[in-house]
Amino acid sequence: MLPVLQIGPLSLPTYPLALLLAGWIALEVGARAARRLGLDGDHIYNVGVYALAAGAVGGRLGHVVAYWPAYRTQLLEIFGFNSRAFLLWPAAAAALVVASGYLYRQRLPLARMLDAAAPGALAGAAVASLGALLAGRAYGAAARVPWAVNPWGVSRHPSQVYEALAALAVALLVLQMIRRGSRPGAAALVALAGYGLSRWLLEPFRAPEVSATILGGLRSAQVLGLAAALIALWGLRVLGQRTGEAGVVAE
Amino acid sequence: MTRLRWNILIVLTLAVGLVWIWVNRLPVDRAQTVDLRPAPAVGHPAPDFTLTTAGGEPFNLADLRGIPVVLNFWATWCPPCRAELPELEAASNRFAGQVAIVGVNQAEAPAAVQAFATQLGLTFAIPLDQDAAVSQRYFVRSLPTTFFIDRDGVIQQLQVGPVTEATLTQLLKTIYP
Repeated sequence: MLPVLQIGPLSLPTYPLALLLAGWIALEVGARAARRLGLDGDHIYNVGVYALAAGAVGGRLGHVVAYWPAYRTQLLEIFGFNSRAFLLWPAAAAALVVASGYLYRQRLPLARMLDAAAPGALAGAAVASLGALLAGRAYGAAARVPWAVNPWGVSRHPSQVYEALAALAVALLVLQMIRRGSRPGAAALVALAGYGLSRWLLEPFRAPEVSATILGGLRSAQVLGLAAALIALWGLRVLGQRTGEAGVVAE
Repeated sequence: MTRLRWNILIVLTLAVGLVWIWVNRLPVDRAQTVDLRPAPAVGHPAPDFTLTTAGGEPFNLADLRGIPVVLNFWATWCPPCRAELPELEAASNRFAGQVAIVGVNQAEAPAAVQAFATQLGLTFAIPLDQDAAVSQRYFVRSLPTTFFIDRDGVIQQLQVGPVTEATLTQLLKTIYP
């Protein structure tokens, strides 16, 4: 475990560094995939940066609205550098709106852009998982396996490594699909199915977290993962049918 | 792939998926899932310690079992700590008797800490970690660092860096009510 990188007198927390690296890798891999699909790779960087900025603003605004009584007497805190003062869902919504707006204004093909972004997002997720391993976050369930790690004095599954390997495997599969010229949207749907199934499969290897359960003890990450995988499989089914129909019409 | 094969695949995924989720469901009683080894990490019981407060009284973390605890590590030379201490004092007054605010001072002279606490009007417990042994045990690498510990003594949140009134309100929700 290496939660802090000590460089002389400088203490750098590894997890935020890993997240920065993950973001850069996600954009770079996505841009390369976009070029392979005949798109301008800069669009991936633009969407990523705009979405990040919108997410930061939306996340902070959401926090201000949710905790307005606390901000009312300290208005300057609205602009403060506090990494905790963000809410996820407003951030995600703002990022989605801005990214959609960019795609619409640039008249970019949605399915192809999602195909391009998918391997980058998976590679970024893999790096973030390895960052969590270094920082001792999102650690695994107790285990007696030869490859167990020992964060906080307990032998555990290196669940972050399992998750990173799964994300990388799906990313490689998706890149292979892109190289072979898959149908628009298929690579993104396979990425969603693969990632969803990996979360569904691997979540039990994480340390149990009762606060992350629904319906009397079901792990929410597993439920969401399975739901995402089923939606993606349904999408692939529809995509296959449409392509088939299009082929018939063309004949 | 034909439509029928797709349908079979989707139904099979759903069936196997639900079984795997059901098999791995967690017990509703949280006590069964808490790792019993104390460690300065979310999900672990907070390591116990005994120190002497700036007021000269003995302080034992385990004595607070049964009420939520905000365990803050600070020092007088640390500007972000000085900025957040009034917020902690306000919370200490607001949640008196319901949430315990504890400010562990890191390796400073008792007289200096006492004078500083009097100057800021701090009334919550200030245990003195004079040899920084507790800070090391809690893996405190930068100040301020704050642990949010629930009624059962389990760490629910960890904040490195200062809290504001808004973030303190947000983080307190994880341990109170």
